[in-house]
Amino acid sequence: MEAWLFLSPTVIGFTIFFLGPLIAVFGYSLTEWNLLTQRATWVGLENYADALGQNPDFWPVLRNSLIFAVGLVPMNMALALGLALSLSRPAFGNVFFRVVFFAPVVTSAVAWAIVWKFLLQGEAGAVNQTLAVIGIDGPNWLREPDWAMFAVIFTRVIKMVGLNMILYIAALQSVPRDYEAAAVLEGASRLQIFRWIIWPLLAPTTLVIMVVTTIGSLKIFDHIFLMTRGGPENGTLVLAFYIYQQAFEFFNVGYAAALAVIMFVVILALTLLQVALRNRNAS
Amino acid sequence: MQHSKRLAALTLSAAFMAPGLAAEAQELRVTVWTGSDAHLAMLNGIADGFEAENPGTTVTFETIPFSEYTRGLTLQLAGGNPPDVGWLLESDAPTFVSAGVLADIGPALRGDADYNYGDFAEPAMGLWVDGDAVYGVPFSTSPFMIFYNATAFEEAGLPTPVGLAEEGNWTWEALRSSAAALSDGANGFWGFEGKDGQGYDSRILHAMMPPIRAYGGDAWTDGQCGFTSSEAIAAMELYHAMIFDDGSVVPPGEIGDFFAGDAAMTINQISRVTRLADAGFEWGIAPLPTGPDGQADVIGQAALVVFEQGEHKDLATALIAHMTSAESVAIMAEFFPPARSSVLASDAFIQSNPAISPAQMAMVKDAIENGVVLPAHENYPQIFAAMSPRVDALWQADADVGAVMASVCEAIAGDL
Repeated sequence: MEAWLFLSPTVIGFTIFFLGPLIAVFGYSLTEWNLLTQRATWVGLENYADALGQNPDFWPVLRNSLIFAVGLVPMNMALALGLALSLSRPAFGNVFFRVVFFAPVVTSAVAWAIVWKFLLQGEAGAVNQTLAVIGIDGPNWLREPDWAMFAVIFTRVIKMVGLNMILYIAALQSVPRDYEAAAVLEGASRLQIFRWIIWPLLAPTTLVIMVVTTIGSLKIFDHIFLMTRGGPENGTLVLAFYIYQQAFEFFNVGYAAALAVIMFVVILALTLLQVALRNRNAS
Repeated sequence: MQHSKRLAALTLSAAFMAPGLAAEAQELRVTVWTGSDAHLAMLNGIADGFEAENPGTTVTFETIPFSEYTRGLTLQLAGGNPPDVGWLLESDAPTFVSAGVLADIGPALRGDADYNYGDFAEPAMGLWVDGDAVYGVPFSTSPFMIFYNATAFEEAGLPTPVGLAEEGNWTWEALRSSAAALSDGANGFWGFEGKDGQGYDSRILHAMMPPIRAYGGDAWTDGQCGFTSSEAIAAMELYHAMIFDDGSVVPPGEIGDFFAGDAAMTINQISRVTRLADAGFEWGIAPLPTGPDGQADVIGQAALVVFEQGEHKDLATALIAHMTSAESVAIMAEFFPPARSSVLASDAFIQSNPAISPAQMAMVKDAIENGVVLPAHENYPQIFAAMSPRVDALWQADADVGAVMASVCEAIAGDL
């Protein structure tokens, strides 16, 4: 009884603010609920059938989400690891550079997006003006469908890479120096030391970073909302933004809830797949 | 005095219908999308009069940014926390009316002879009535005008839009020529900017409708899409050529603000004149250019509405009656052109805004009398979302305008 009393604040909070809404979303997804009229009717699995079988926008939107994740996760992780390897050892200026690369993580997303929209303007933007100096005619980054996705991925990567860099630095600093020293004595090259000692020891951290970054990229909303609003030509219309559109622009809360459940299942499946692949490689 | 009596009668009737309402302290919350100090000072001044005549009543204006307005309002309604009164945009009117979330304020307004409901021109009320029911009263019936940088025209030795209009030569082709002559994109100065720089995004209809209507086309009528008409295509071919052939319009993805002196002309409404108070250039206002179909003025409209869920509907209705009385409308006309015929016809309106000359205000008046409100539809959110990505394709240099317009019609046909 005492145990339950001690646990009750957490259990009550978890039930009200997490479990309850989660179950409610499943319930909402089985209704046709108009946010404006507040009228809801039971439609069973109709919302799911429509999204998966009839809605011509759903699969392109899901594909955009996957493209965003596939583009962002490897770029983010590779850059984070590279920065961590460069900045993990005590050296002059390393703390300064760690701060520089971490600063965007704590920068306002709104300010970040506004500044990048200025920088990525078609002709007047600093990026294209810089490219013009070296003879490259840069595209209209946020207005051309082929480039907009790359632009939002890239700007998101450099905003968030600092977080993964810090995680990798922490992991690298926990790698016993004895292993590395022994390998050096055995004549191992730097590449071999990384491949056969450091990389395997970073595996648990890599798994956590991969899972967390994948989940974050599949749920991406604020960056898209602020930079492209899903455009141009729906080229950056990802699932989280589409759910928002359905709920708060078209007032279809039931349909949006069904899409949210689908997103939950997709993320869960990809996360389990990552863990399974990692476990298989580890064994 | 007559005004005071009318208000007293309205408030009395409100109290009669809902005993105790007027006797207790009441707080009325009004959602608006303006954050302009000048606008809010004017609104608060009008509300002060209402508060004085209704002791214990306080009126607060809550600003929700324009881009978030409909969504924010909807969430307040869905959350059971509706404002008592709200501004509503013309494009949202059919959606909100059909959803049944607006209160019918017709009986209260018609029942008050002093209010003179018949003073509102029938076309101006079109979006806000359904049979005998009245779901909103327009507080702003504001036509789109051409704002121009007179200094830039003078320095270039070009005739101003107003000068051309007086000669009868102010056409879309003339606007194109002037914009091309004034544009210097390499130095960050363009001949023309879409409304508030959002003509490629959230305000595509504000960019498209003025030329399309001047050419004799329309967005949709009676459930039929009009973007594929030869008139609409010709209009958008002209606009596309201005952007990509002439390089005279602030291009997609660029930022060039007329009010900051980065563009020679823009389309806007007189409520934005407050932004020109500190402009470092002389400016003027001209009518929209004519097209093959003659003068086709386009109006943006917004109304005051009472929400069905509101706790103080009768008092809220009385507030709307106060804010849209002839006296209040005359005050608001400084920024928000009136739908009341008597105010529109008065000299007071012509001289209501010290920043706008009587001659310019007369042009605004003409545009109100002859203009047509922007397209609206019960399924507007879905239509806009469906057409927006298709219209994006129009903002590419190699766009096939006819094909893009066909894809727009195909995308919205189901929702029309």
